[in-house]
Formats: sequence, C-alpha cells, structure tokens
Amino acid sequence: MLGRHADNLFWMARYLERTENSARRIQSAFLHTLTQRPDGDEEWAAILHSTGKAEAFAKRHESVSMAHVIDYLLRDKANEDSIISLLANARQNARSVRTALTQEVWQSLNESWIIMNTALKRPVNIRELPSILENIIKGSSVFRGALYGTMLHNDIFNFLRLGTFIERADNTARIIGARYHRLLPTAAGALGRSDQSQWEIILRSLAAWRSYNWLNRGHLDPSSVASFLIFDDRMPRSLSFCYHEICTNLSDLETEYGRTYDSGQCARVLLRELEDGREKDVHRISLRDFVNRFIIDNNNLSLTIASDFNLAP
Amino acid sequence: MFDEMLDGQGSEGREPYRPLLTWLENQDFRKLSKQSLQAEELFRRIGITFNVYGAHDGEERIIPFDLIPRIIAGREWRALERGIIQRVTAINAFLADLYHRQEIIRAGIIPSSLVHGNKAFLPQMCGFTPPGNVYTHVVGVDIVRTGPDDFYVLEDNARVPSGVSYMIENRATMLQMFPELFASHHIQAVSDYPKQLFRSLADCASSFMDNPNVAVLTPGIHNSAYYEHSFLADEMGVDLLQGSDLEVRDGRVIIRTTEGTAPVDVIYRRIDDEFLDPLSFNPDSLLGTPGLFDAYRSGAVMLANAPGAGIADDKAIYSYMPEIIEFYMGEKPLLDNIPTWRCSEPDNLAYVLAHLPELVVKEVHGSGGYGMLVGPAASKRELAAFTRKLKANPANYVAQPTLSLSTVPILTRNGLAPRHVDLRPFVLVSPNGIRVTPGGLTRVALRKGSLVVNSSQGGGTKDTWVLES
Repeated sequence: MLGRHADNLFWMARYLERTENSARRIQSAFLHTLTQRPDGDEEWAAILHSTGKAEAFAKRHESVSMAHVIDYLLRDKANEDSIISLLANARQNARSVRTALTQEVWQSLNESWIIMNTALKRPVNIRELPSILENIIKGSSVFRGALYGTMLHNDIFNFLRLGTFIERADNTARIIGARYHRLLPTAAGALGRSDQSQWEIILRSLAAWRSYNWLNRGHLDPSSVASFLIFDDRMPRSLSFCYHEICTNLSDLETEYGRTYDSGQCARVLLRELEDGREKDVHRISLRDFVNRFIIDNNNLSLTIASDFNLAP
Repeated sequence: MFDEMLDGQGSEGREPYRPLLTWLENQDFRKLSKQSLQAEELFRRIGITFNVYGAHDGEERIIPFDLIPRIIAGREWRALERGIIQRVTAINAFLADLYHRQEIIRAGIIPSSLVHGNKAFLPQMCGFTPPGNVYTHVVGVDIVRTGPDDFYVLEDNARVPSGVSYMIENRATMLQMFPELFASHHIQAVSDYPKQLFRSLADCASSFMDNPNVAVLTPGIHNSAYYEHSFLADEMGVDLLQGSDLEVRDGRVIIRTTEGTAPVDVIYRRIDDEFLDPLSFNPDSLLGTPGLFDAYRSGAVMLANAPGAGIADDKAIYSYMPEIIEFYMGEKPLLDNIPTWRCSEPDNLAYVLAHLPELVVKEVHGSGGYGMLVGPAASKRELAAFTRKLKANPANYVAQPTLSLSTVPILTRNGLAPRHVDLRPFVLVSPNGIRVTPGGLTRVALRKGSLVVNSSQGGGTKDTWVLES
C-alpha cells in the first residue's frame, strides 16, 4: 500500500475518534452544567484546559461561558479541533484515499460531514445541542459498523484501527491527567458531593458511567475509578484495552508484511507495563507522572509507526 | 431547430423515443420531479461533486442531472462510430508524423509555424515512439447534431478528456430509479468502460511489459475532476497517486509503500503535460515528479495519454482536420467539421469582425467554456470588448457559425421543455484497435435557449442510451 494512503487512513481514523471524544466531553459537561448550576462555567474552563485550548480560546473570546465554549468547540473553523474542522479533515483524508474505502464507509463519513455542515451553519441553540451531539456520536457508530461489516480486515483496516486507538488512548490519558487530583483518595476517605459529580463527568465523557456502576454496584471510590480507566481491559476506552488493540493490529501488520518492526516492540513493552501496573496498588504509583509519561510514550509510538511504514511523505 | 425526441412526428415522437414517450404518458410529473431531487441527493452522498475554479472556500457542487434520457438508435450510432474511429485513427497518425518526419508539413498542408510555434507541441517528444505507437489512449470527441443525419465534430479532446464517470454513474442512477425502462428497451451497456480502459492500457504496454503495475495520477483532491480520478482508480483496482508519491530511482519509477517501495509501469495521468515533470517542463510546478519524463523516454514507464498529444486537439489545428484525415486515411472524412475561421489569417479576421454578432468565437487554447463569446447572446458592450481583444491578438482566436444545436427535452417544473445538447463519446485506443463505448456524456444547457453546455457554466447531464438496433 502507498505510504501516503496509510497516513491518510491513520489520520482519518484519528480525526474521527477525536470528533466522537469531543462530542462526549461536551455532552457530559452540558449535563453537568444543567444539574450543578453553581460551578457550571468552571466545567467549561476545565474542558478547554484539558484539551490544551485555553490560550487559543482566549484569543477568540473575552470570557469563558457555555455559549462561547460550545461555539468554539463545535463550529469555529479557526479551531482545528472543533467538530466542524475535525470532520472536514477526516473527510479530506478519506477523499485522498477514497479507493481504499468501501462505498459504505465513505458514505457514512460523507453523510456526517454533510449533516454537520448544515446543522452548524448558524450558532447552535441550546435546545438543538443534545440532538447535534447525539448525531455526531451516531455518525461515529455507523462509521465503525460499516468498517467492521464491509472492509477487508487487511493492512488498510489495521492502519485505521491504529489511528483510532492511538487517539483514544491519548484522550483517556488526558482526561485522567486533567483531573488526577480528584482521583487521589482523600485523607478522610470521605467523598464530597462535588467529587462525586467530578467522577461522573469523567466516566460519562468516556462512555463508562453505566458500566462502572454496573461493575461496582454504584460504589464510587477513587482508586477503583482510576484502575478501571487505566487497567480494565474489558472497558473499550481504558488504556489497557487500547494497547491490546494496538498490539493486535501491529502484529497483524507484522504477519502480513513478514517481518517485525520497532513500533511493534514499543507497543508490546507499553502493554506489559500496563499489565504489570495492574498488579500494584494504583496509588503507590504517582498518577500524574504515570499519565504524563504515558502521553509522551503514546505519541512516540505514533511517530515510530509513521517512520516504520513510510507514512510521512 | 431539430428536437431529437419529437421532431416533425407530432406527439408520437421520433422512432427511438416512442416507447419512452408511452412510458412518460403514464408518469406523475410531480413524482418524477421528486425523484430528480433524490437523484441529486444521492450524488451528493456518494460524493460525485466537482470543484469550481475561483469559487470561494473550495465549494463542491454537483452537476445537475436530468432524468429524461437521450436516445440514439443503433443505426445512427454505427454511423457515428465509423466516423469517430476514422478521426481518431487519423489523429494518432498525425501525432506520429509530427513527432517524426513531419510529412504533412513538408507536403504544405499544415503551416510549420502553427506546429512549431504552438505551446502544445513538445519538441522533447521528437524522435520518440511511445509504446504500441499510441499517442492518445483515451479521446473524448465532442459531437453536436443539427438534423436527423447531420452530426458535426465540435472539438477533439486528445489530452485528458473527463466526464466518463458521469456516463457510468448516470446510467447506474437510471437503472436504480427506473428499472422497468431497461426491461422495455435494449440498451447497450457502458459499465465495463473501466475494465476496457485497463485492458487497453495493458495492451499498449505489452510491448515492454506483461502484467504492468498501472496507476492513475491525479493533481489531488482540489482538482475539479478528482471524483472521476478516484472512481476510475477504484473501478480498475489500481492506486490513485499524486506527483509527490512518485519517485524516479535508478531510472525506474517507484512509489513509497508501507513495505518499502514498489514499481509503477503504466501511468494513466490526469494532469497536464506541463505539470508532469519540473525538470523537463514547468520548473515552478509542485505537482510533478522530477525525472519522470526521462524515465518515460528511456522506456521505463508508459504515460497515457502521451505528452505532446495536445497538439492534435488544438483549436487552430482543428480547422485542418478534414485535410488531416484525407492525408493519412486517403478518404473523405465521415464526420464533418464545423466551418472554422482562423483569425490569424487577415481575410478571416476581417470576416469575423464584420459578422461577430452571428458567430461563436473561442480562444485557441481555452477550454471549459471560459473566455468564449457567443455572438447572438452577447450585449453590445461584450461585442465591443471582444472586438478589441480580436484586434489585439487575432492568432489567439478562431470563430465558427452559431449552429442550431439539436434539443432533447428536460424535466422542468412545467413539464417537458426542449434544451440544447451535445455529446461526448469516449474512445479507447490500443494496438489491437479502437473502441468507442456505446453512449457517452450528454451535456445539456439547462437555461432556455442557451447553447453553453459546460458544467462550469451551469450545464447539466443526461443518461445517453444507445439502442441495440
């Protein structure tokens, strides 16, 4: 396969995953704002902060308010990580590699883009927001379904999946990193009401609120939330799950191309570290250092994949 | 004015259209209009869009699609086909001659200055024989009609003709919407065009390579015909490349792949000559591949169409086509040219200036309907402005009479209404013969009375049926 095409596939998947993640974050912050009125705007500031957008946002808007942040994250073309920019970038990559995609995969993405372009033409009314966010997430699900149901599971598929899980691991790590202090057990072990709602936000923005509650019978405690998000390889957005998938796709490529690669070795080392970590008490490791290092390692893996497979021109 | 559906036959219509007219009588036109919108929605979803040069924000548009098919009887088609094959054969003989002995210039039929002073003529091609001796692997011959048996060639497209994806997608759309029409008509298929194209390219390359690695070369996703490039690559099952993907290493043309490198043997290029190779042509081009032309001349890769083929479809050369056909084929042209005044000749210029309101004036190197004057539709100011342009640079223009182009009805809010059409059949050339796909792209001027069918100027398309008999 052409190296540039692999690059287009990888980034198309990353941008789409980022679109879905962003929609989920907005969704959970929105819910929080409606139910926890007093510290509402704080939550919007936190979103900007965790995505590294606080400074860029300040250049566009004077104050942090829900309306401004939503506009910035959904439809501001000057923001390269707004939903509209991400979808346009995903689609641009897909068009460049159109011949590698099935009609259904391409159409699912093209339709999301067409729908969002219309829906986001004008500033979003609060009443429309839930359905817009739902549509973005639904578009992502349809894409995933078309991918699994119609594509050959070959190297094209592997590069798409690698993009998805590198991006997803990054997203989960950043969400933990931005709120790691909340995930530390308090001295008294008691939970304030605001801590509870913070965890709810974290879990909801990773589509994991229900599954966490189901596994823990509604019992919220910091170390089990952290360990769930990092080590539980049943949870499709945990770091461990992402690295299982990354390793599988890299070893598929190794089998298909008949040799081993640096990226495969790196990924396996990172996965082993996650597996070893599970054995230890989460809070004996420094959560902040762990997450910061993980984000760097994950990014380095992305670069190693690019050089191993001639992704960059 | 000749209407291909109804002319002179009252409501019964011309023979090839009779079953369709019967079917139309039983249709609810409001429902048809709704289906027409659905068809456009489908095009947008599939991404059959084109970019308009100069439009802001890289806006993508769809070419309006009209549901009423254009129908050509088998008998009519066979006559057209013979004329097209004769013409395309002559074009290839002409190119082989121009890039070798130039007999036609020595014989005094074509002025040397017209060839050697022409940007489309590439001296770098002189003395080189492309694989299979084919210069124009794909040709689109634009044809207009003025009466039951009166067909004229409006233009030859010997460089990188586009539109073939519309021929195929329009048919697919009609099949999906009105399957019953295909049961009641015997329509020749067009869907195997991409396979024929692949076969034809491989046949040309067979002199130096069996089972060649074929690729389509595109300027990129912002090109107006990008959808077509990806469509053809997809249907042929080959890579779609950009210039920056290609590299010339040790005399071979390669691409960088996820596993290392891979060779490329045949390039169906959809970029213009001057952007192929910055070392040989336009040094400022970012689109090309350095060294590609040398690799081509040394026989390491085949390019389709051959660089320099554009000299054959130049609008100034066009006026010599009847002589060119006679010179190489030893027979009269089967398809007529439109009478053409070359404004470079003083007598012609004087005539054109005196009759401007009746004529169509085109730039010699223009395309896409840009920069042309349609005399009868022009205002006094436009005529005056064009007069100045003509006087300043007469050699840049040719003029033709305004033909009364045939019409085929389109679906409008008020029912059927006649609109002017042209036809671009697609021709594949290989050492094993010339093949004209039975059908083509019918372009239709959607505005009442308009003669400009180009998609960039608000034209639409129709499915084109060639019947078995």
